Amino acid sequence: MLYNPFSLKDKNILVTGASSGIGRTTAIECSKLGAKVVITGRSIERLQETYSQLEGVGHSQYLAELTSQEDLENLVKQVPTLDGVVLCAGSGVIKPFIYSSREQFDKVFNINFFSQVELLRLLVKKKLLAKPSSVVFVSSVGGIYSFDPGNGVYGASKAALCSTMKFCALELAPKKIRVNSVNPGMVHTKLINPNTITEEQFQSDMENYPLGRYGETSDVAYGIVYLLSDASSWVTGHTLVIDGGLTI
Amino acid sequence: MSYNPFSLEGKTILITGASSGIGRTTAVECSKMGAQLFLTGRNEQRLIETMELLDGQNHSFIPADLTDDNEMQHLISSLPPLDGLVNNAGIQKYMPTQFITEDDLLRILKTNTVAPILLTRTLVKKKKMKNPSSVVFTSSIAGNFKCSPGNAMYSTSKGAISGFMRNSAIDLAAKGIRCNAVNPGMIVTPIMTENSALTEEQWEENRKLYPLKRFGKPEDVAFAIIYLLSDASSWVTGSSLIIDGGRIL
Repeated sequence: MLYNPFSLKDKNILVTGASSGIGRTTAIECSKLGAKVVITGRSIERLQETYSQLEGVGHSQYLAELTSQEDLENLVKQVPTLDGVVLCAGSGVIKPFIYSSREQFDKVFNINFFSQVELLRLLVKKKLLAKPSSVVFVSSVGGIYSFDPGNGVYGASKAALCSTMKFCALELAPKKIRVNSVNPGMVHTKLINPNTITEEQFQSDMENYPLGRYGETSDVAYGIVYLLSDASSWVTGHTLVIDGGLTI
Repeated sequence: MSYNPFSLEGKTILITGASSGIGRTTAVECSKMGAQLFLTGRNEQRLIETMELLDGQNHSFIPADLTDDNEMQHLISSLPPLDGLVNNAGIQKYMPTQFITEDDLLRILKTNTVAPILLTRTLVKKKKMKNPSSVVFTSSIAGNFKCSPGNAMYSTSKGAISGFMRNSAIDLAAKGIRCNAVNPGMIVTPIMTENSALTEEQWEENRKLYPLKRFGKPEDVAFAIIYLLSDASSWVTGSSLIIDGGRIL
Protein backbone atom coordinates (compact mmCIF):
# COMPACT_ATOMS: atom_id res chain seq x y z
CA MET A 1 0.00 0.00 0.00
CA LEU A 2 1.46 3.36 -1.00
CA TYR A 3 2.02 5.99 1.66
CA ASN A 4 -1.17 7.96 2.22
CA PRO A 5 -1.85 9.81 5.50
CA PHE A 6 -5.30 10.67 4.10
CA SER A 7 -6.29 7.00 3.76
CA LEU A 8 -9.53 5.80 5.33
CA LYS A 9 -8.57 2.14 5.04
CA ASP A 10 -10.74 -0.12 7.20
CA LYS A 11 -12.49 2.79 8.88
CA ASN A 12 -16.26 2.41 9.37
CA ILE A 13 -17.87 5.65 8.23
CA LEU A 14 -21.56 6.59 8.47
CA VAL A 15 -22.86 9.12 5.95
CA THR A 16 -26.35 10.61 6.29
CA GLY A 17 -28.07 12.30 3.35
CA ALA A 18 -26.23 9.85 1.11
CA SER A 19 -28.95 9.52 -1.55
CA SER A 20 -27.68 12.54 -3.46
CA GLY A 21 -25.45 15.57 -3.63
CA ILE A 22 -22.57 16.07 -1.22
CA GLY A 23 -23.57 12.98 0.81
CA ARG A 24 -23.46 10.70 -2.24
CA THR A 25 -20.08 11.97 -3.46
CA THR A 26 -18.65 11.82 0.06
CA ALA A 27 -19.76 8.21 0.50
CA ILE A 28 -18.19 7.27 -2.84
CA GLU A 29 -14.90 9.09 -2.11
CA CYS A 30 -14.69 7.47 1.33
CA SER A 31 -15.09 4.05 -0.31
CA LYS A 32 -12.35 4.89 -2.85
CA LEU A 33 -10.02 5.65 0.06
CA GLY A 34 -10.66 2.27 1.64
CA ALA A 35 -13.48 2.95 4.11
CA LYS A 36 -16.36 0.64 4.88
CA VAL A 37 -19.30 2.95 4.38
CA VAL A 38 -22.71 2.87 6.05
CA ILE A 39 -25.09 5.03 4.02
CA THR A 40 -28.51 6.28 4.98
CA GLY A 41 -31.16 8.35 3.22
CA ARG A 42 -34.89 8.59 2.59
CA SER A 43 -35.17 7.47 -1.03
CA ILE A 44 -34.78 3.73 -1.62
CA GLU A 45 -33.91 4.08 -5.33
CA ARG A 46 -31.41 6.91 -4.91
CA LEU A 47 -29.79 5.24 -1.91
CA GLN A 48 -29.38 2.07 -3.99
CA GLU A 49 -27.85 4.16 -6.77
CA THR A 50 -25.27 5.54 -4.35
CA TYR A 51 -24.63 2.05 -2.98
CA SER A 52 -24.00 0.65 -6.45
CA GLN A 53 -21.28 3.28 -7.02
CA LEU A 54 -19.33 2.49 -3.85
CA GLU A 55 -15.95 0.87 -4.45
CA GLY A 56 -14.68 -2.11 -2.53
CA VAL A 57 -16.63 -4.27 -0.10
CA GLY A 58 -18.05 -4.18 3.41
CA HIS A 59 -20.60 -1.41 2.83
CA SER A 60 -24.21 -1.26 4.03
CA GLN A 61 -27.30 0.85 3.45
CA TYR A 62 -30.25 1.71 5.68
CA LEU A 63 -33.39 3.55 4.71
CA ALA A 64 -34.33 6.03 7.42
CA GLU A 65 -36.41 9.15 7.92
CA LEU A 66 -34.11 10.86 10.41
CA THR A 67 -36.81 13.22 11.69
CA SER A 68 -38.52 10.17 13.15
CA GLN A 69 -37.19 9.22 16.58
CA GLU A 70 -38.14 5.60 15.89
CA ASP A 71 -36.15 5.49 12.63
CA LEU A 72 -33.20 7.14 14.40
CA GLU A 73 -33.17 4.56 17.15
CA ASN A 74 -33.50 1.67 14.67
CA LEU A 75 -30.59 3.02 12.64
CA VAL A 76 -28.44 3.34 15.74
CA LYS A 77 -29.22 -0.28 16.68
CA GLN A 78 -27.86 -1.49 13.34
CA VAL A 79 -24.63 0.46 12.82
CA PRO A 80 -21.24 -0.97 13.80
CA THR A 81 -18.76 0.95 15.98
CA LEU A 82 -17.87 3.93 13.85
CA ASP A 83 -14.54 5.62 13.12
CA GLY A 84 -16.27 8.48 11.35
CA VAL A 85 -19.67 10.13 10.94
CA VAL A 86 -20.66 12.60 8.23
CA LEU A 87 -23.87 14.48 9.05
CA CYS A 88 -24.97 15.59 5.63
CA ALA A 89 -28.77 15.31 5.57
CA GLY A 90 -30.21 18.71 4.87
CA SER A 91 -32.75 20.73 2.96
CA GLY A 92 -33.15 24.34 2.00
CA VAL A 93 -35.87 26.90 1.58
CA ILE A 94 -35.85 30.44 0.22
CA LYS A 95 -38.29 32.57 2.19
CA PRO A 96 -38.15 36.25 3.05
CA PHE A 97 -38.07 36.70 6.80
CA ILE A 98 -41.60 38.13 6.83
CA TYR A 99 -42.92 34.77 5.53
CA SER A 100 -40.67 32.62 7.68
CA SER A 101 -43.31 31.30 10.00
CA ARG A 102 -42.69 28.96 12.89
CA GLU A 103 -43.80 26.13 10.57
CA GLN A 104 -41.07 27.04 8.05
CA PHE A 105 -38.43 27.12 10.75
CA ASP A 106 -39.61 23.82 12.24
CA LYS A 107 -39.56 22.04 8.89
CA VAL A 108 -35.99 23.04 8.06
CA PHE A 109 -34.63 22.78 11.60
CA ASN A 110 -36.13 19.33 12.12
CA ILE A 111 -34.06 17.85 9.31
CA ASN A 112 -31.01 20.15 9.17
CA PHE A 113 -30.41 20.51 12.88
CA PHE A 114 -32.45 18.41 15.30
CA SER A 115 -32.23 15.09 13.44
CA GLN A 116 -28.47 15.33 12.87
CA VAL A 117 -27.71 16.40 16.43
CA GLU A 118 -29.95 13.75 17.97
CA LEU A 119 -28.34 11.07 15.81
CA LEU A 120 -24.91 12.11 17.05
CA ARG A 121 -26.12 12.22 20.64
CA LEU A 122 -27.51 8.68 20.41
CA LEU A 123 -24.31 7.37 18.80
CA VAL A 124 -22.20 8.86 21.58
CA LYS A 125 -24.58 7.67 24.31
CA LYS A 126 -24.57 4.10 22.96
CA LYS A 127 -20.76 4.22 22.77
CA LEU A 128 -20.84 3.61 19.02
CA LEU A 129 -18.02 6.04 18.29
CA ALA A 130 -14.53 4.55 18.47
CA LYS A 131 -11.66 6.08 20.40
CA PRO A 132 -10.39 7.97 18.41
CA SER A 133 -13.03 8.94 15.86
CA SER A 134 -14.08 11.92 13.76
CA VAL A 135 -17.44 13.63 13.23
CA VAL A 136 -18.05 16.08 10.38
CA PHE A 137 -21.11 18.33 10.24
CA VAL A 138 -21.97 19.63 6.78
CA SER A 139 -22.78 23.23 7.57
CA SER A 140 -22.51 26.19 5.16
CA VAL A 141 -21.01 29.64 4.79
CA GLY A 142 -24.62 30.84 4.56
CA GLY A 143 -25.86 32.03 7.91
CA ILE A 144 -22.37 32.28 9.39
CA TYR A 145 -20.11 34.26 7.04
CA SER A 146 -22.48 35.04 4.19
CA PHE A 147 -26.02 36.40 4.24
CA ASP A 148 -28.41 36.50 1.30
CA PRO A 149 -31.98 37.79 1.49
CA GLY A 150 -34.40 34.89 1.77
CA ASN A 151 -31.83 32.50 3.22
CA GLY A 152 -32.56 33.19 6.87
CA VAL A 153 -34.22 29.91 7.82
CA TYR A 154 -31.57 27.73 6.15
CA GLY A 155 -28.79 30.02 7.39
CA ALA A 156 -29.98 29.89 10.98
CA SER A 157 -30.10 26.08 10.90
CA LYS A 158 -26.52 25.91 9.56
CA ALA A 159 -25.28 28.43 12.12
CA ALA A 160 -26.91 26.37 14.87
CA LEU A 161 -25.07 23.28 13.60
CA CYS A 162 -21.75 25.12 13.79
CA SER A 163 -22.36 26.21 17.33
CA THR A 164 -23.30 22.70 18.45
CA MET A 165 -20.24 21.41 16.60
CA LYS A 166 -17.96 23.51 18.77
CA PHE A 167 -19.63 22.48 22.01
CA CYS A 168 -19.37 18.83 20.94
CA ALA A 169 -15.70 19.30 20.03
CA LEU A 170 -15.01 20.58 23.54
CA GLU A 171 -17.14 18.06 25.45
CA LEU A 172 -16.21 14.99 23.42
CA ALA A 173 -12.45 15.67 23.32
CA PRO A 174 -11.84 13.52 26.43
CA LYS A 175 -13.38 10.59 24.46
CA LYS A 176 -10.96 11.42 21.61
CA ILE A 177 -13.91 12.22 19.35
CA ARG A 178 -12.94 15.09 17.06
CA VAL A 179 -15.80 17.22 15.76
CA ASN A 180 -15.50 19.67 12.87
CA SER A 181 -17.63 21.14 10.11
CA VAL A 182 -17.24 21.83 6.43
CA ASN A 183 -18.76 25.12 5.33
CA PRO A 184 -19.32 25.17 1.59
CA GLY A 185 -20.42 28.00 -0.61
CA MET A 186 -22.92 27.27 -3.38
CA VAL A 187 -22.41 23.73 -4.70
CA HIS A 188 -23.99 22.14 -7.78
CA THR A 189 -26.55 19.79 -6.21
CA LYS A 190 -30.31 19.43 -6.36
CA LEU A 191 -30.54 21.59 -3.23
CA ILE A 192 -30.15 24.49 -5.66
CA ASN A 193 -33.67 24.97 -6.94
CA PRO A 194 -33.88 26.31 -10.53
CA ASN A 195 -37.54 27.11 -9.88
CA THR A 196 -36.72 29.92 -7.50
CA ILE A 197 -33.51 31.21 -9.09
CA THR A 198 -33.06 31.94 -12.82
CA GLU A 199 -30.04 31.00 -14.95
CA GLU A 200 -29.19 34.70 -15.21
CA GLN A 201 -29.22 35.05 -11.45
CA PHE A 202 -26.91 32.03 -11.16
CA GLN A 203 -24.45 33.50 -13.67
CA SER A 204 -24.50 36.82 -11.89
CA ASP A 205 -24.04 35.13 -8.51
CA MET A 206 -21.02 33.14 -9.78
CA GLU A 207 -19.22 36.42 -10.33
CA ASN A 208 -19.11 36.85 -6.55
CA TYR A 209 -16.74 33.89 -6.40
CA PRO A 210 -13.05 34.81 -6.90
CA LEU A 211 -12.42 31.35 -8.35
CA GLY A 212 -15.19 32.04 -10.87
CA ARG A 213 -17.35 28.96 -10.34
CA TYR A 214 -19.71 27.23 -7.97
CA GLY A 215 -18.40 24.21 -6.11
CA GLU A 216 -18.62 20.60 -7.13
CA THR A 217 -19.63 17.96 -4.62
CA SER A 218 -16.09 16.55 -4.82
CA ASP A 219 -14.64 19.86 -3.54
CA VAL A 220 -16.60 19.37 -0.34
CA ALA A 221 -16.09 15.60 -0.19
CA TYR A 222 -12.29 15.95 -0.19
CA GLY A 223 -12.44 18.42 2.72
CA ILE A 224 -14.61 15.91 4.59
CA VAL A 225 -12.13 13.11 3.84
CA TYR A 226 -9.26 15.23 5.22
CA LEU A 227 -11.23 15.75 8.43
CA LEU A 228 -12.14 12.05 8.72
CA SER A 229 -8.55 10.90 8.21
CA ASP A 230 -5.70 10.58 10.69
CA ALA A 231 -4.03 13.46 8.83
CA SER A 232 -6.26 15.82 10.82
CA SER A 233 -5.79 14.19 14.23
CA TRP A 234 -5.03 17.51 15.94
CA VAL A 235 -7.91 19.37 14.25
CA THR A 236 -11.10 19.80 16.26
CA GLY A 237 -13.73 22.52 16.61
CA HIS A 238 -12.81 23.90 13.19
CA THR A 239 -15.06 25.33 10.47
CA LEU A 240 -13.41 24.33 7.16
CA VAL A 241 -14.55 26.91 4.63
CA ILE A 242 -14.72 25.57 1.06
CA ASP A 243 -16.24 28.41 -0.93
CA GLY A 244 -14.10 29.50 -3.87
CA GLY A 245 -13.17 32.64 -1.95
CA LEU A 246 -16.73 33.95 -1.63
CA THR A 247 -16.42 35.12 1.95
CA ILE A 248 -12.99 36.78 1.78
CA MET B 1 -0.87 3.88 -8.66
CA SER B 2 -3.35 4.03 -5.76
CA TYR B 3 -6.18 6.55 -5.90
CA ASN B 4 -5.10 9.64 -3.99
CA PRO B 5 -6.71 13.06 -4.52
CA PHE B 6 -4.17 14.51 -2.06
CA SER B 7 -1.17 13.40 -4.12
CA LEU B 8 1.53 15.95 -5.00
CA GLU B 9 3.00 13.73 -7.73
CA GLY B 10 4.97 15.79 -10.23
CA LYS B 11 4.33 19.12 -8.47
CA THR B 12 7.25 21.55 -7.96
CA ILE B 13 7.09 23.09 -4.50
CA LEU B 14 9.23 25.76 -2.80
CA ILE B 15 9.34 25.68 1.01
CA THR B 16 10.93 28.48 3.05
CA GLY B 17 12.23 27.87 6.55
CA ALA B 18 12.94 24.28 5.52
CA SER B 19 16.00 23.94 7.80
CA SER B 20 13.95 22.87 10.81
CA GLY B 21 10.57 22.52 12.49
CA ILE B 22 7.38 22.68 10.46
CA GLY B 23 9.32 23.51 7.29
CA ARG B 24 11.52 20.43 7.55
CA THR B 25 8.64 18.05 8.29
CA THR B 26 6.51 19.58 5.54
CA ALA B 27 9.35 19.06 3.07
CA VAL B 28 9.72 15.41 4.09
CA GLU B 29 5.97 14.72 3.90
CA CYS B 30 5.62 16.52 0.54
CA SER B 31 8.44 14.37 -0.83
CA LYS B 32 6.58 11.25 0.35
CA MET B 33 3.53 12.47 -1.59
CA GLY B 34 5.59 12.70 -4.78
CA ALA B 35 6.53 16.39 -4.96
CA GLN B 36 9.75 17.80 -6.38
CA LEU B 37 11.11 20.07 -3.68
CA PHE B 38 13.05 23.33 -3.64
CA LEU B 39 14.17 24.09 -0.11
CA THR B 40 15.42 27.36 1.27
CA GLY B 41 16.52 28.61 4.67
CA ARG B 42 19.41 30.50 6.22
CA ASN B 43 21.30 27.55 7.68
CA GLU B 44 23.02 25.58 4.91
CA GLN B 45 24.04 22.71 7.17
CA ARG B 46 20.51 22.15 8.43
CA LEU B 47 19.11 22.44 4.88
CA ILE B 48 21.45 19.62 3.86
CA GLU B 49 20.15 17.57 6.80
CA THR B 50 16.58 18.12 5.58
CA MET B 51 17.62 17.09 2.05
CA GLU B 52 18.94 13.79 3.40
CA LEU B 53 15.54 13.00 4.92
CA LEU B 54 13.61 13.47 1.68
CA ASP B 55 12.05 10.62 -0.31
CA GLY B 56 12.73 10.45 -4.01
CA GLN B 57 15.15 12.31 -6.27
CA ASN B 58 15.52 15.64 -8.03
CA HIS B 59 15.20 17.88 -5.00
CA SER B 60 17.36 20.99 -4.51
CA PHE B 61 18.28 23.46 -1.82
CA ILE B 62 19.26 27.11 -2.10
CA PRO B 63 20.40 28.82 1.12
CA ALA B 64 19.03 32.36 1.34
CA ASP B 65 18.23 35.12 3.80
CA LEU B 66 14.86 36.18 2.45
CA THR B 67 15.06 39.58 4.16
CA ASP B 68 17.89 40.39 1.74
CA ASP B 69 16.65 41.48 -1.68
CA ASN B 70 19.72 40.19 -3.58
CA GLU B 71 19.48 36.75 -1.99
CA MET B 72 15.74 36.59 -2.67
CA GLN B 73 16.25 37.56 -6.34
CA HIS B 74 19.00 34.95 -6.67
CA LEU B 75 16.71 32.29 -5.18
CA ILE B 76 13.88 33.17 -7.57
CA SER B 77 16.11 33.14 -10.64
CA SER B 78 17.17 29.56 -9.74
CA LEU B 79 13.59 28.28 -9.71
CA PRO B 80 11.43 26.74 -12.41
CA PRO B 81 7.71 27.63 -12.50
CA LEU B 82 6.10 26.36 -9.30
CA ASP B 83 2.92 24.45 -8.48
CA GLY B 84 3.23 25.32 -4.81
CA LEU B 85 4.83 27.83 -2.44
CA VAL B 86 4.97 27.35 1.34
CA ASN B 87 5.79 30.66 3.08
CA ASN B 88 6.84 29.07 6.32
CA ALA B 89 10.01 30.80 7.60
CA GLY B 90 9.36 32.55 10.89
CA ILE B 91 10.95 33.78 14.11
CA GLN B 92 9.61 34.38 17.58
CA LYS B 93 10.38 36.56 20.60
CA TYR B 94 8.21 36.95 23.67
CA MET B 95 8.20 40.43 25.16
CA PRO B 96 5.38 42.09 27.12
CA THR B 97 3.89 45.07 25.29
CA GLN B 98 5.48 47.74 27.46
CA PHE B 99 8.99 46.37 26.80
CA ILE B 100 8.74 46.09 23.02
CA THR B 101 11.65 47.70 21.15
CA GLU B 102 11.40 49.05 17.64
CA ASP B 103 14.41 46.93 16.64
CA ASP B 104 12.83 43.65 17.77
CA LEU B 105 9.48 44.58 16.26
CA LEU B 106 10.92 45.45 12.85
CA ARG B 107 13.12 42.37 12.83
CA ILE B 108 10.16 40.07 13.49
CA LEU B 109 7.92 41.87 10.98
CA LYS B 110 10.65 41.75 8.36
CA THR B 111 11.05 37.95 8.54
CA ASN B 112 7.49 36.90 9.36
CA THR B 113 5.51 39.36 7.25
CA VAL B 114 7.45 41.52 4.79
CA ALA B 115 9.72 38.80 3.38
CA PRO B 116 6.90 36.37 2.51
CA ILE B 117 4.89 39.22 0.95
CA LEU B 118 7.82 40.29 -1.23
CA LEU B 119 8.68 36.70 -2.13
CA THR B 120 5.09 35.99 -3.21
CA ARG B 121 4.83 39.25 -5.14
CA THR B 122 8.16 38.73 -6.94
CA LEU B 123 7.43 35.10 -7.86
CA VAL B 124 4.13 36.19 -9.40
CA LYS B 125 5.72 39.14 -11.19
CA LYS B 126 8.49 36.92 -12.63
CA LYS B 127 5.81 34.46 -13.79
CA LYS B 128 7.13 31.68 -11.56
CA MET B 129 3.70 30.71 -10.18
CA LYS B 130 1.82 28.40 -12.54
CA ASN B 131 -1.86 28.53 -13.41
CA PRO B 132 -3.14 26.79 -11.36
CA SER B 133 -0.93 26.87 -8.28
CA SER B 134 -1.25 27.11 -4.51
CA VAL B 135 0.37 29.36 -1.90
CA VAL B 136 0.24 28.39 1.78
CA PHE B 137 1.29 30.73 4.59
CA THR B 138 2.30 29.38 7.99
CA SER B 139 0.36 31.81 10.16
CA SER B 140 -0.79 31.04 13.74
CA ILE B 141 -3.77 31.09 16.06
CA ALA B 142 -1.79 33.91 17.69
CA GLY B 143 -2.86 37.30 16.45
CA ASN B 144 -5.84 35.78 14.67
CA PHE B 145 -7.90 33.61 17.00
CA LYS B 146 -6.18 33.30 20.40
CA CYS B 147 -3.53 35.51 21.95
CA SER B 148 -1.13 34.74 24.78
CA PRO B 149 0.53 37.09 27.25
CA GLY B 150 3.81 38.59 26.08
CA ASN B 151 3.26 37.59 22.47
CA ALA B 152 2.34 40.93 20.90
CA MET B 153 5.09 41.18 18.28
CA TYR B 154 4.59 37.66 16.95
CA SER B 155 0.80 38.09 17.04
CA THR B 156 1.11 41.32 15.07
CA SER B 157 3.24 39.66 12.42
CA LYS B 158 0.86 36.71 12.09
CA GLY B 159 -2.31 38.83 12.06
CA ALA B 160 -0.71 40.86 9.30
CA ILE B 161 0.36 37.91 7.15
CA SER B 162 -3.16 36.44 7.41
CA GLY B 163 -4.54 39.78 6.26
CA PHE B 164 -2.17 39.69 3.28
CA MET B 165 -3.15 36.09 2.51
CA ARG B 166 -6.83 36.99 2.26
CA ASN B 167 -6.18 39.94 -0.01
CA SER B 168 -3.74 38.10 -2.23
CA ALA B 169 -6.35 35.34 -2.61
CA ILE B 170 -8.60 37.93 -4.22
CA ASP B 171 -5.89 39.58 -6.34
CA LEU B 172 -4.39 36.34 -7.62
CA ALA B 173 -7.58 34.30 -8.19
CA ALA B 174 -7.74 35.38 -11.83
CA LYS B 175 -4.24 33.91 -12.34
CA GLY B 176 -5.42 30.60 -10.88
CA ILE B 177 -3.29 31.10 -7.76
CA ARG B 178 -5.02 30.02 -4.55
CA CYS B 179 -3.80 31.50 -1.25
CA ASN B 180 -4.54 29.99 2.15
CA ALA B 181 -3.03 29.86 5.62
CA VAL B 182 -2.50 27.24 8.26
CA ASN B 183 -3.00 28.51 11.80
CA PRO B 184 -1.32 26.17 14.26
CA GLY B 185 -1.44 26.26 18.02
CA MET B 186 1.72 25.36 19.91
CA ILE B 187 3.80 22.86 17.92
CA VAL B 188 6.81 21.05 19.38
CA THR B 189 9.66 22.44 17.25
CA PRO B 190 12.86 24.40 17.92
CA ILE B 191 10.89 27.70 17.86
CA MET B 192 9.15 26.34 20.97
CA THR B 193 11.90 24.33 22.68
CA GLU B 194 14.54 27.03 22.18
CA ASN B 195 12.26 29.58 23.84
CA SER B 196 12.96 29.85 27.54
CA ALA B 197 9.99 32.10 28.36
CA LEU B 198 8.14 29.36 30.27
CA THR B 199 9.21 26.89 32.96
CA GLU B 200 8.48 23.13 32.74
CA GLU B 201 5.53 23.65 35.06
CA GLN B 202 4.18 26.48 32.97
CA TRP B 203 4.46 24.39 29.78
CA GLU B 204 2.52 21.62 31.55
CA GLU B 205 -0.21 24.09 32.59
CA ASN B 206 -0.31 25.36 29.00
CA ARG B 207 -0.69 21.83 27.62
CA LYS B 208 -3.80 21.28 29.75
CA LEU B 209 -5.51 24.17 27.93
CA TYR B 210 -5.67 21.97 24.83
CA PRO B 211 -8.88 19.82 24.74
CA LEU B 212 -6.96 17.09 22.90
CA LYS B 213 -4.44 17.23 25.78
CA ARG B 214 -1.25 17.49 23.77
CA PHE B 215 0.81 20.02 21.88
CA GLY B 216 0.93 19.68 18.13
CA LYS B 217 3.45 17.72 16.10
CA PRO B 218 4.97 19.23 12.96
CA GLU B 219 3.20 16.47 10.97
CA ASP B 220 -0.18 17.82 12.08
CA VAL B 221 0.64 21.05 10.25
CA ALA B 222 2.42 19.37 7.34
CA PHE B 223 -0.65 17.29 6.42
CA ALA B 224 -2.88 20.39 6.41
CA ILE B 225 -0.36 22.15 4.16
CA ILE B 226 -0.44 19.14 1.82
CA TYR B 227 -4.26 19.28 1.65
CA LEU B 228 -3.99 22.96 0.68
CA LEU B 229 -1.24 22.34 -1.89
CA SER B 230 -3.09 19.44 -3.52
CA ASP B 231 -5.84 19.44 -6.13
CA ALA B 232 -8.21 18.20 -3.40
CA SER B 233 -8.52 21.83 -2.26
CA SER B 234 -8.99 23.40 -5.69
CA TRP B 235 -12.07 25.35 -4.56
CA VAL B 236 -10.43 26.53 -1.32
CA THR B 237 -8.93 30.00 -1.24
CA GLY B 238 -8.66 32.75 1.34
CA SER B 239 -9.17 30.24 4.17
CA SER B 240 -7.47 29.91 7.55
CA LEU B 241 -7.07 26.25 8.53
CA ILE B 242 -6.89 26.05 12.32
CA ILE B 243 -4.81 23.16 13.65
CA ASP B 244 -4.84 23.59 17.39
CA GLY B 245 -6.18 20.59 19.28
CA GLY B 246 -9.26 22.65 20.13
CA ARG B 247 -7.30 25.40 21.92
CA ILE B 248 -9.44 28.29 20.73
CA LEU B 249 -12.73 26.72 21.87
